Amino acid sequence: MNRLLKNSNKYFFHSIYIEEGALNYPITKNIIEKYCNSNLIIIKHYKDVFNRTNQNFSVQKQNQSLILAVKSKPFVYNGPDVCQNFGYSNFYYTSFLLNCIFDCEYCYLQGMYPSSNIVAFVNIEDFKSEIKYITSKESVFLAASYDTDLIAFHNIVPYLDYFYDFFKSLPNLLVEVRTKSANESFYKTHKAIDNLIVAFTLSPDEIIKKYERSTPSLDARIKAAKTAISMGFKVRICLDPIFVGPDVDSFYEPFYNYLFSQINPNDILDIGYGFFRMSKDFFKRIEKIRPNSLLFCDDYSLKDGVLSYPSNLQEKIMKKHYEILTKYINEDKIFSL
Amino acid sequence: MVFIVTALMLEASPLIEYFSLKKDMKINNYQVYKNSDIALVISGVGKIKSAMAAIYLLSTFKSKKEDILINIGFCGTNSLKYALGELIAINKVKDMDTGKDYYPDVYFGKNIPKETLCCSSKPIFKEDYKEDKDMLFDMESVGIMEAGQKFLYTHNTVILKIISDFLTPKDLDKEMLKDYIKNNIPYIVEIIDELKNLNDSSKISFEEEERAVNLLCESLNFTEAMKKMLFKEVKKSKLKGLEPLNILNDFSCREVKIKKEGKRVFEQIIEKLK
Repeated sequence: MNRLLKNSNKYFFHSIYIEEGALNYPITKNIIEKYCNSNLIIIKHYKDVFNRTNQNFSVQKQNQSLILAVKSKPFVYNGPDVCQNFGYSNFYYTSFLLNCIFDCEYCYLQGMYPSSNIVAFVNIEDFKSEIKYITSKESVFLAASYDTDLIAFHNIVPYLDYFYDFFKSLPNLLVEVRTKSANESFYKTHKAIDNLIVAFTLSPDEIIKKYERSTPSLDARIKAAKTAISMGFKVRICLDPIFVGPDVDSFYEPFYNYLFSQINPNDILDIGYGFFRMSKDFFKRIEKIRPNSLLFCDDYSLKDGVLSYPSNLQEKIMKKHYEILTKYINEDKIFSL
Repeated sequence: MVFIVTALMLEASPLIEYFSLKKDMKINNYQVYKNSDIALVISGVGKIKSAMAAIYLLSTFKSKKEDILINIGFCGTNSLKYALGELIAINKVKDMDTGKDYYPDVYFGKNIPKETLCCSSKPIFKEDYKEDKDMLFDMESVGIMEAGQKFLYTHNTVILKIISDFLTPKDLDKEMLKDYIKNNIPYIVEIIDELKNLNDSSKISFEEEERAVNLLCESLNFTEAMKKMLFKEVKKSKLKGLEPLNILNDFSCREVKIKKEGKRVFEQIIEKLK
């Protein structure tokens, strides 16, 4: 967010690539107007830029470009096993944006995409049609920002403004928007709606400094969460990913105590808790592109194609953490994988 | 290493002079000029020739992804917004024969104009281009893009064009053209520096450690799997701020005659690295 604020003028993106087919959409027109002095490049298809071979993820991250594109089907995907479904069996996710303005060392997107440029899809009506269609058949839990941070991107493309009335009109839909952002503008300008959960990913400040480059501090995130709560929004706390090791274990107890001294546990909906985990394929790719990362030098245990801490270690740490967390919140309100 | 491809000697000679490049007499297929940091090849005109020369250079000098490939040359334009001799950085290359587009990342030259370039297989004259749009034209860029994308990080393939004419590419004054290149050398030097910094910022080298691990594994008859594990531990140790080279050095004089002994020494090294 610091980077966003610092660069909130017309030069935020290194270049803006625009698909020919995206030119006439309102989002595109707004972006062109807002960033009129940027380097605008017309392209045929977003994959011609996004999927080029031999892109250097870290160099690009420091020179991030925006790609405006028209998404083709599918617009909604089944929720992955490595993510919490919070008890909902009809669990889906959608991506209006690919990639994120933040630069977290542990982020799986580095292994998932060949580029760190941001793709913003402009055909929001097509997303709405498909969401409407699936909710006409069943009640749906929809994660709307797994592959990005919509709130952090709000000042660039306010997707939540565009979807607000739509989400509100679908009683069969429960939407989760996950964020590390300190941007409070959405909570201040919109009334809370029953079927929207804002999920704040929080970590000890030491972890933020160590792994979550260019993200807001813990206090800034807590402040945003408190604003959301005070405006009546349903707020979820995500303690995910949790790291384990002699260098980080001691950070968690003071962090939990501090967190609940700042936020009344009765004011939050629930907690999502999860250890650092990653698909083996993504891990291997990231290992190559982040040769200076200690996190990706460590040994993890492999289970069903996912690398994480050994199960017995996870159990031990989780037990310790739950002892502290359950002083503040009932165990049935803590969801873990 | 910085690899430069120019189509003509005319384009190359000011660069050869400025960077004090010496002709590599061992190479007969192409005219290659080099110093310790730069290798320049004169490709001849056209995208096939530029691709061949670029690949020849990248292969002969065993390029790494962090190396830089720059095409420096002239282009014509129908646009009056640029003056003759002006340097342009290219952010999109259109192949006029196939319709394929290429997108070089341009992370340098904040004050240098960025444009789309059309690459044609024959010279473009005023009467050939009927469209109303302002455009730049060259004959080599597609070949450079094709070659660069196979070998290097995308941001390391760079197309720099200098306006030579307004689609009247005949009987141009050779001395004036040389001056256009000469006048732009300060910008070219700055661009090379910017690209080098960009590559250095993303790189942490383990070359020395890798060499030491290879030597040690060879002398102690370690298997490939042991070598892989050892290198990982050495890397981790260096990232933690320790000095793994000293530890490896301590074991360099050890002798291992039987497999069991090798395993024991291996475990000792790993223990010390932690």
